[in-house]
Amino acid sequence: MTQRPLELILARNLMSALSTPAFLVDEGGILAFYNEAAGMMLGKRFEELGTVGAEEWGSLFGPFDESGAPIPYDELPLVTAVRSGRPAHAEYVIHSSDGASHAVEVSAFPILTAHGSQGGIAIFWPAGTNGDGARPA
Amino acid sequence: MKVKLWGTRGSIPSPGPETIRYGGNTSCVGVTLSDGSLLALDAGSGIRSLGLALGPEPTRLHILLTHLHLDHILGLAFFAPAFRPQTEIVIWGPASPDASLRDRIARYISAPLSPVEVRELPCDVSFRHAPDSEWEIGPARIRAASVSHRGPTLGYRIDDGDSSLTYIPDHEPGLGADLDRLEDDWISGFSLAQDTSMLIHDGQYTDAEYPDHLGWGHSSLRDALAFARRTEAERTVLFHHDPLHSDEFLDRFGAEARERWAEQGGDPAAIELGVERAEYELPARAAKPVVKAATV
Repeated sequence: MTQRPLELILARNLMSALSTPAFLVDEGGILAFYNEAAGMMLGKRFEELGTVGAEEWGSLFGPFDESGAPIPYDELPLVTAVRSGRPAHAEYVIHSSDGASHAVEVSAFPILTAHGSQGGIAIFWPAGTNGDGARPA
Repeated sequence: MKVKLWGTRGSIPSPGPETIRYGGNTSCVGVTLSDGSLLALDAGSGIRSLGLALGPEPTRLHILLTHLHLDHILGLAFFAPAFRPQTEIVIWGPASPDASLRDRIARYISAPLSPVEVRELPCDVSFRHAPDSEWEIGPARIRAASVSHRGPTLGYRIDDGDSSLTYIPDHEPGLGADLDRLEDDWISGFSLAQDTSMLIHDGQYTDAEYPDHLGWGHSSLRDALAFARRTEAERTVLFHHDPLHSDEFLDRFGAEARERWAEQGGDPAAIELGVERAEYELPARAAKPVVKAATV
């Protein structure tokens, strides 16, 4: 068993207590956790979905481009920025499990470990994007 | 591997008639490896007695600091071997973006808090940040990992032959989390303690006290027991006793711990409260550690 970095453990604990939809991506690009608020928005609890890779996540929820095609995770400007150690903010369209589209504002922050290595990415969908941006799929 | 508890108290030395059996000295555990190499886990006030017990002979010693809160380093300036030129001391501790380990310790061992400066210590002392990967001291493999506490804090695991000791004296793994609902890899300190021969772990608060100390970096009895059960430690020593907990209080606390451990299906003899000067010899795994002496 590989122990998760403490920084990721503490981030998950914090996210668990928040009403802001929040996601945790590990250093390998795997969606490692999202909280109940995010689960409500997606229509699927984390306990139901479990950890998923970027490709599977993209096919399920997006984000999608204007033509409705999923944007590859590695090509997201937000991901590129965070991997280079910078915070980033973006607007995307995602689909919830019931097929509804949601315009969301996304803020992402790199998590650096005590040893200075990339521990993962914390992603927040600030309150107010849930539902406000809903539009027919 | 031989283990001796030189200080079991948390927060502040608490000497007095009400703490005479469990002890009033703060965190320090002496470890003698199978080749005779000496380790001290933390340098609370208990390390003063460890230093006196070593006698005047030339000594080479590794001190493994979990973190730099005062109750874990305050004995350094009173550690007799540090004042002998024939002593060699290697001090390991957590890295910090703030300053080097030496500079952070020097904040304490310097004026006006101390009459001596680090540079004035006559011994041969060096400071090393605990690496992210396993390293060796004598015959032992040492592993350090960050654990949930306030500020940069490590837990340690020492594997010597078939026996292992895990030391996490300041730990709040249940902060914002229900340990019973988390996967193993999401539990702070889990890999350090998994299947260890002996776990020395924070057990500062009762369940009733914990809500008033949430986020202070220490465990409730519930979380300490859950951590020990999840990691399947063979034997658990609850440590870092609250300075307000008298011997009589700790007697009751220990009885409750054993009772609850038994209710969870554990062997009540496998859980105990740390007692100053208690000694253990850790044999190969699968045999129970032998308690050589305890004063309670």
